[in-house]
Amino acid sequence: MMLIAALANTGKAQPVEGRIRYLKTSNWTKMISAVDYLSKQQRERVTYMWGSRSEWKQYTEMYLKPGNTFYKDSEEQAEADDDGYSWRRDEYSIWRNFNDGRIIDMIQLLGKVYIIEDTLKPQNWKILNDIKEVAGHICMNASWYDSLKQQSVIAWFAMDMPISGGPERFCGLPGLILEVDINDGAMVITADKIELKPITTEMDLPKKMKGKHVHEHDYFAVLQKHMKERKDSEEPPFWGIRY
Amino acid sequence: MRKISIILILTLTFCSLFSIAQSPSKVTIKSAIKDTSNAEVPFATVMLLNPKDSTLVNFTTSDGNGLFSFNNVRNIPYLLKISHVSYLPHQLMITASPTPINDLGVVKVKPISMALMEVVVKAAKAPLRIRGDTVEYDATTFKVPPGSTVEDLLRRLPGIEVDAEGNIKTQGKDVKRIFVDGKTFFGDDPKSVTKNLGAEAISKVQVYDEKSEQSKLTGVDDGTKEKAMNLELKEEFKKGSFGKATIAGGTDERWASRANYNRFNEKNQLSFIGYANNINQTGVNWEDYGEFKGQNAFNDYDNGDFGFNSSRGGMYFYSDDDGPTNRFDGRGFTKNFGAGTNYNFNNKKTKFNASYFYNQTKLNLDQYTFKQTFMGDSSFYNDDTLSQDDFRGNHTIASRYEKELDSNNILIVKANVRFSTSSTGDMKTQLFSGGEQLPYNRLSMNNSSDLNSWTVTSASIFRHRFKKKGRSFAISAGYNISQSDGTDKLLSWNEFFKAQTFTDQIRKLNSRVNDASQLKSSMLFTEPLSKIWYWESFYNFSMSNNGRDRQVRKDENSVPIEGLSTYYTSDVLYNRLGSSIRYSNKGLNVAAGAAAQQLRLDGKYAIDKEHSFYDTIVRTYNNWTPNVSASYQLPRNMWLSMNYSYEVNEPDISDLQTVPNTDNPLYRSEGNLDLQPERIHSVNMNFNYWNPSSFASVGIGGNYGAYDRNIVYNQWIEVIDTLGILTITKPGNVDGGSRLNSYFWSSFPVIKTKFTIDINGSIFTSASPAYVNDVLNETKSKGFNIDFGINLTPTPKLIVSISQNMSINNITYSIREEQNQQIRSYESYASIKWQFAKKSFFESNFNYTIYKNEKFGFDQDMPIWNGSVRRIFGKNNKIEVRLAAFDLLNKRVYISQYGSSNYIMHTNAPTLARYYMLSLTYNIKGFEDKLKKNNFW
Repeated sequence: MMLIAALANTGKAQPVEGRIRYLKTSNWTKMISAVDYLSKQQRERVTYMWGSRSEWKQYTEMYLKPGNTFYKDSEEQAEADDDGYSWRRDEYSIWRNFNDGRIIDMIQLLGKVYIIEDTLKPQNWKILNDIKEVAGHICMNASWYDSLKQQSVIAWFAMDMPISGGPERFCGLPGLILEVDINDGAMVITADKIELKPITTEMDLPKKMKGKHVHEHDYFAVLQKHMKERKDSEEPPFWGIRY
Repeated sequence: MRKISIILILTLTFCSLFSIAQSPSKVTIKSAIKDTSNAEVPFATVMLLNPKDSTLVNFTTSDGNGLFSFNNVRNIPYLLKISHVSYLPHQLMITASPTPINDLGVVKVKPISMALMEVVVKAAKAPLRIRGDTVEYDATTFKVPPGSTVEDLLRRLPGIEVDAEGNIKTQGKDVKRIFVDGKTFFGDDPKSVTKNLGAEAISKVQVYDEKSEQSKLTGVDDGTKEKAMNLELKEEFKKGSFGKATIAGGTDERWASRANYNRFNEKNQLSFIGYANNINQTGVNWEDYGEFKGQNAFNDYDNGDFGFNSSRGGMYFYSDDDGPTNRFDGRGFTKNFGAGTNYNFNNKKTKFNASYFYNQTKLNLDQYTFKQTFMGDSSFYNDDTLSQDDFRGNHTIASRYEKELDSNNILIVKANVRFSTSSTGDMKTQLFSGGEQLPYNRLSMNNSSDLNSWTVTSASIFRHRFKKKGRSFAISAGYNISQSDGTDKLLSWNEFFKAQTFTDQIRKLNSRVNDASQLKSSMLFTEPLSKIWYWESFYNFSMSNNGRDRQVRKDENSVPIEGLSTYYTSDVLYNRLGSSIRYSNKGLNVAAGAAAQQLRLDGKYAIDKEHSFYDTIVRTYNNWTPNVSASYQLPRNMWLSMNYSYEVNEPDISDLQTVPNTDNPLYRSEGNLDLQPERIHSVNMNFNYWNPSSFASVGIGGNYGAYDRNIVYNQWIEVIDTLGILTITKPGNVDGGSRLNSYFWSSFPVIKTKFTIDINGSIFTSASPAYVNDVLNETKSKGFNIDFGINLTPTPKLIVSISQNMSINNITYSIREEQNQQIRSYESYASIKWQFAKKSFFESNFNYTIYKNEKFGFDQDMPIWNGSVRRIFGKNNKIEVRLAAFDLLNKRVYISQYGSSNYIMHTNAPTLARYYMLSLTYNIKGFEDKLKKNNFW
């Protein structure tokens, strides 16, 4: 609770408003390698066979204004070879209000859209000692282990952007998260373009939100059930869910 | 347990009471942050961490005067951390405070050296790790050429200076000592390390202050500190090896051996594979071949043929017709041998592959075929027996090079070479009989042939992306050349049973020399008209030259037989220019376009190479071909796709030449100079649905092809008293003809992860018109195939699957409706995999197939039962011993039944039946000591 009070404070310190484009690089073989219930032989084989051509890139974007962030997939295509071929995107819209400590998420999970409205419960970050630069900002390093999705997450947050937001569902650090590395490179989300500009309607909730209204723990329950079933059938869990 | 917890609660209560008495439960922590020059540090991030695991508890920011406070936080020990863009992160432990306000006074922070900040953190984008006084560089992010020493690496690290002699300085001080993994390396001279150790082995470089030698000796810290450096070695290069070797021996002199070995590191993969056996494994299995090819097993689909009907952008598994994968067709007995090596180099920009493979198969085949052929009002029958010895050997060299010249330009170059040798000797007897199955004549043939050939294929592709997003250009060029040289020795006897019996003997010697070359090129240009509209244009060009020389003699010493010997050349020039417009938005992609194509055939005919051409044909075919394709990704994991194309295929040059082939004296094939290209409308459709939650999936699809104009082989069958039943085939054009194939598949988990039902099926029809003795016959084929299966995994140690398949094909002949046939087959399958002890497995499967054609009087069944027991032994499960029984009931034969144009036939051939085999496998990486539930990725 103390942390949430702190989150709201940072928003007031030094106003930041604009759009951040993140480059999301997914590495399929590293995702498979991180699934510990698959046999070592299977995981090594996938890496051996596919290691050099298992990466793909997408853009995501975040709009922010003091105390608020909105994160979603970008319309822009990051892979140069796409030739404009269009894919349908799974619903993924993440609103964070750090002033009220409220979240609204619209997430497609296993083919179904869930609308999660709940209080903000940030990840339980550990603060580490490294610093590095991301998109022109000096960032500090924090880590968190997601026991539900079995992901170890390294976040780099900007010391000079005092807003507690971040890409995907990550938040709760003293500065804006500009880079996230999940499972040692299986997915890396890096801010590659920061535009500070006034935000008008980009962060507004859509008029119609179609989906099942749930609390965050309901969403986690569906996810947990899926993770267990996939584990029982010895299949990688990440098809149909957001990594 | 209960007692303990009560005691615990009491203790805790007591403790907390005690602590309340000692110090307040809430505290306000405050301080002022100043730097080493005593200036206030505003807007620093201040964090309260749990001292046990550094978990973030609370945070705030210092105000304009460098002051901060945490009000009313729990009064427990914290790790206080201050971070700021311009200062080294600073941390201090604070204990629980005895007073409600814990004023820490002034906390001092050190500025980050500009050199480190500007260069390491900003320019190199390398994480700079700071632990107290230690600064750590990630060596892997600083690129040095292969073979570089540590000194070369250090020269690239910002904040570190290396002079001409190799002396190292950092932050203005000399580095006096260098450690490797914390240990002194070759004495005290730092240069002995930096000049000798390879940069590739280093993962991290750490620079820190060390107490002077003096203070170490005396144990008194005199305050002087020296700079020291530690080089951390990489845990291991990402390298390793894997492989396995098997030897097996069995009853009936059955034996097999195979081995594969792969070595790899981050960039290189080298593999070897080999096999030899007499158990009808004519090659390696897909999994082993995939591992052999490694990262080159899956290539981008890059044949360079751009435009309609060339699937661009997909992936395909590297394969070719005579490749070293197992392609035994079920007939006869084979002895096989093969070996190869493959090398891959991969880094981000360059991919290179080279491989060599030799494979050979000796086939020993006996086969019996019964065939009924329909004419206008009668039928005749063939009873054929074939005894064949066949040898094939191939040397294949393949290479591929892919280079990303820069982020906008990619070049791919490929070249393959193959040398093949084959020789075949066969004895064939064909018994011809008429309506009441009375024998007409018997043709016996004793043929042998040898063929040597080589082929070179090469292609290069260049792709360029323009600055404008979505605009791209690609060009490809390819050159293929092949030559074959063969000899056939043909000997036939024809015995007549009608009228009076006499024998006719024919002896012939064929020599065949074919050569072909092809030069081709394609271009593709994509222009985005807007974010959702694209315009694509392509051009294809190809020029091919074929020469075929076929000389037929009575024997080595005689002259070629006129009317059977021929030499002809054909030049084919192909040009196609096409364009299409594509709409791509929100999962919907629709493209429509058309192409104009011109095909020019230029054929020249002579008796042989020495004689001048006696005939020339020139044909030019101009056509428009439209093309439409669409795919739509619906919500909820549904996909819909369709495409329509109009194809025009030129006749094969061998169908255009007029000199007949009479290798079989009773089966004469002729060419047709007036043959026109084939034209087909084809439509494909597909729908898929996948439920990611239940893992149920459904798909339906179909393809339909309708011929505007068809190339068919017309037949003239006549009974000639002095010869027997003679069949003459000649290609011709017929309007009409169609094929439709529709299919569905589905998979439903009934109990998730334990019980799944699969249902698949297909329905097909086809209509093929052709003339038989100048009467148009339309053969129609209509049928279906349905497959029902269940998969059970009650425990991780048991996998059971059962399936049932039925397929029915009705064949009708318009010239002889009373001969309409129904071909049926039923197949039942059951398999079990059971881990019955910790490292022991039992596997068995049973397959029962019934073949039926009542009209034809064909009814055969074949039960096949296999079983094996295996056990894993040794350290890391490296050894496997397997005892296997193949075809326990000793029933395996090759059976096929088939009906087409104006005939129906069935074939039987003996093949490898019951044998038992004991095998021993050594696996470097060890075997998995559990059953695999999934085998498909």
